[in-house]
This record gives sequence, C-alpha cells and structure tokens, in this order.
Amino acid sequence: MTSDHIPSLRNPSSIRTRLAHRFVRALKKLSMDRPSSPVSVSDRYKRYRMIRAAAYASMASSVGPRRAWARALLRKIRNRKTGNISMKRRGVRTCLVTKRTLLKPRDHREMGSQQENSLRGLVPGGEEMDFCRLLNETGHYIKCLRAQVKVMKNIIDLYSN
Amino acid sequence: MSSEENMDRGMVMASSEVDPFYGSNWDSIMSVNQGGNLGSSPYFAPNEFNDPHYSAVLENQILARASHLVHFPSDSNLDDLVPKAPSLESGCFSEMDNSFGNIHSGFAQNNGVVTQRDPRNGSKTSLDHRQNSEHRGLGDSFNGKRKRKVSFGASLKNAEEQHGKDPSEDTESPGEHDEMNPKMHTALRGKQGVDQAKSNAVGGEPSTENYLHMRAKRGQATSSHSLAERVRRERISERMKLLQELVPGCNKITGKAVMLDEIINYVQSLQHQVEFLSMKLATVNPELNVDIDQILSKTILNSRGGNANTHGINPGLSPSHPFRGFSLGNINGLPGTIQPFHPLPHTLFDSELRSILQTGSGSNPPGQKGTPPNRSDLF
Repeated sequence: MTSDHIPSLRNPSSIRTRLAHRFVRALKKLSMDRPSSPVSVSDRYKRYRMIRAAAYASMASSVGPRRAWARALLRKIRNRKTGNISMKRRGVRTCLVTKRTLLKPRDHREMGSQQENSLRGLVPGGEEMDFCRLLNETGHYIKCLRAQVKVMKNIIDLYSN
Repeated sequence: MSSEENMDRGMVMASSEVDPFYGSNWDSIMSVNQGGNLGSSPYFAPNEFNDPHYSAVLENQILARASHLVHFPSDSNLDDLVPKAPSLESGCFSEMDNSFGNIHSGFAQNNGVVTQRDPRNGSKTSLDHRQNSEHRGLGDSFNGKRKRKVSFGASLKNAEEQHGKDPSEDTESPGEHDEMNPKMHTALRGKQGVDQAKSNAVGGEPSTENYLHMRAKRGQATSSHSLAERVRRERISERMKLLQELVPGCNKITGKAVMLDEIINYVQSLQHQVEFLSMKLATVNPELNVDIDQILSKTILNSRGGNANTHGINPGLSPSHPFRGFSLGNINGLPGTIQPFHPLPHTLFDSELRSILQTGSGSNPPGQKGTPPNRSDLF
C-alpha cells in the first residue's frame, strides 16, 4: 500500500534506525557542549531550541536529499544558523531548484483553497509545489514525524528511568 | 529524487529555445510520474520524424505533444531519450525495416493502415485486445494530431506529407499492419491514452487504452484540458486515499475538505509533539554519562530493527511473556502499527536500564528474566 507511495520507507526499520542514530549523536554533541545543568530559563530555552533544531535536522538528514521537504527543512535550519552566507555558497544548487520552481506557475500560492495553503505552510518546502506533489510530500513527512516522535519518546523514557 | 535528477538532465537537454514552454509543461509531466510505460517513446519519435537532429526533434515533439497531453514520458525515461537516439535509429529501425520499406514510408503505411482500419479496430478494442488498441491508438493519435493541430512545427509537416501518401498504400497495409503490430506494440505504447481518447471520441469508441489508467468514457468531454483535469483529480484522490491510511481515524471520512482538515490537524499535532518532547528533553537532566548514550542508541536500535538481534544478544533471557510480546510486536511493527508496538519496548528498556543504573545491585525487576550479570554481558 504505502510502499509505492513512499518507496524510501519500504524497510520500516531503516529510517527509524537512521533517525535514532543521528538524533542520539546530535544529543550527545549537545550534552557535551552544554553546562552541567541548565540553570536559567533562558538556558533551558536555548537548549530546547537547539534540541528541536537537532531533531528536525536529524530527521531531514536521515531521509536524505531525495525528498523535497527534507531539503527545504535542512535549508531552513542552515539558513537560520548561518544567515545569508550559506545562500551564496550553495548558489548553484539553489539555482537549479529555483529554476525548476520558477518555471512552474507561480500561482501555487494564490490558487487553491485555504486548507491547501495552510498545508503548504505546515510542510517544509510546500510553498513551491503543486498540490499533487504536496500531498506526496505530506505523506512522507507524516511518516518521518511519527518516527521522530517515537524515538524522542523512547529517549525520554530511558532518561527518566 | 530521481525525478528531479532527471529533471535536471531534461533541463540541460532542452537548452535554449524551448525552455519556457518546456518547463511549464514539464512540471505537469513531472507530477505525473507513473511507471515506465514510456520507454517506448524514444522509439516512437524517430519513426515519425526522420530528422538528423534527433534530440531537437524529440524536444519539439515532446513539447508539441506535451501541450496536449499532460502525461507524457515519465521522468525515468527522459534521460533515455537523448542517449538512446543513435542506438534507436540503428536498432529499432532495423527491427522495423522488415515491415517498413523505410522509415518514412513504413510510418506512413502505419498511418494509412490505422486510418483505414479505424472501424475495424474499434470493434477489436471493444474486446480489449491490447495490441490492436495500442496500435490503433498510435495511428489515431497521429490522425487526430495532424488533423486538428497543424501548428506543431516544421518537423510535423513531413509526417503530414507522409500521411497524404497513405491512401495509395492501403491495400498492402493490412498484412503489414499485423506484422507491425507486435513490433510496434512495445515501441509505441508510450503515446496512448489521451490521444486515443480524443480520436475515440471522434470515432465514438467507448473504451480506450489506458496509458495512465485514465479512460475517456463515452459521453465525457475529451478535450485535452478536461482529460488532464481528470487525470489530476484522480491522482489527487489517489494521494488522499494514501494519506487517509496514514492519518489515524480517517477511515470513515469521505470528502476532500474534511480530509484535508484532518491532515492539517495531524501534522500540526505531530509538530507540536516534537516541540514538546524536545522541551522535555531539554529539561530532563541526564544523570547518565556518555557511555550510557551509546547504550541508549543500542537499545533504541535494538527495539527498532533487531528482532533477531535481541534474540541473539540475550541468550540468557528466558523467553518470558513481555519479551515474546515485544518480539512479536516487532515483527508486526510496520509503520502502520504504532500503538501496539509502543508500550512493549518500554518494559524492556526499563528493566535493562534499571539493571545497568543500579550497577548490578542485584535487584531484579519483578517479572523480568535473567540476572544483572547476564545483562551486563550484553554490553
């Protein structure tokens, strides 16, 4: 059923193991950097944001560059971190992407119902896809989000016990 | 994604003059990426246009066709188009040379055959005879195309001239038609579907060959726009069905709007969950040191993928009920089944972790198997 729809998840354990690997690695890095215990609220908030970014980044990178939402997510995270410098560096790749997307009718955003537009806002990279592709990417995104949530829950339970 | 890689190659291929047109159609084409029926399309084009500049002609043809067919060659076949050009003209044509006098006349014959045999082919397709219908569709496509759309380009005029010669070759065509059928079958499967639908509408035929599983039923509008619209709608409904299976509790919902609402809510809730869990992770103070992190990753991975792994790693553990349940849950633990899968690893994690943290203090968790020394051997 879903194997045709989302071929990269044909092996159900593979994406979860990859996710788990990357996320734990990222957490290790974070835990080594941070002080012994986050004392203040702002520290905790910073840590929360870093962990969240690490979660999304590990999710997107374990999916790989084949999915548009993963690429868009990684782009967003990197841009958030490094500002506009990264845009110039990866100018070539974004050129290809934008050329592709520019040739699409740009009224993807104006057309469509309100729900469609809100879905576009939710799924990373959803602004520049047509509706059919958006549904594809949404399906895959949902699967990966679920896997990510499970991994995080398990980690928390492990930590708290 | 492979489609995008091919898209890049396609972009390189369609270099200069056809870029805007190419790209705008290309996107709709890309979204229709469905299966490899179109491996034949490269075989198709050179037959029609005996043009030395193969790729340019192909592009023209592709664009010309693509303007009316939303679903043209799928992505994976695109990069076959150009590289296959030289081999095509030798290999494919050598195959067909038996039936065709030469490329032009053979194809012209084909056209002539199909135009003549339309009524007969119509009856055959009603029996759903695949080859005939495809073959007919090929010819029909050309007839329909040539008659209606004259503005394809200079290269098309060759074919039209060939078409004009057709009536003279009708008598000998039936025999060759049957000969050509099997050979053309594989080569010309690519151009079915909408073209057939159009010409079928002209001929009043109810059934068509499905290129992308789309039928132009009798009485339905068969203009290219409505057909494209129908294809698009069917794709969207297909995706919505798949999404319905993904989102829990959406089995009974019929209707795009409600379904979309559910999907949006679900995605939002998942994102909020990620945020909440990351907040929780930030606040939880890990007493464990770095080594435990490795153990964590191992346990997480064991819970995910390794049914056999867990069995192999825990030889000392008697197959008690939770473990069994866990292993069974893992077997069934495909992406769809989350809830039954979820609680079981907890017990395994908890027990193992407790034993690790308590540094072999010997307090066996109740209901669990094995002894701490056994467990520590695992890692």
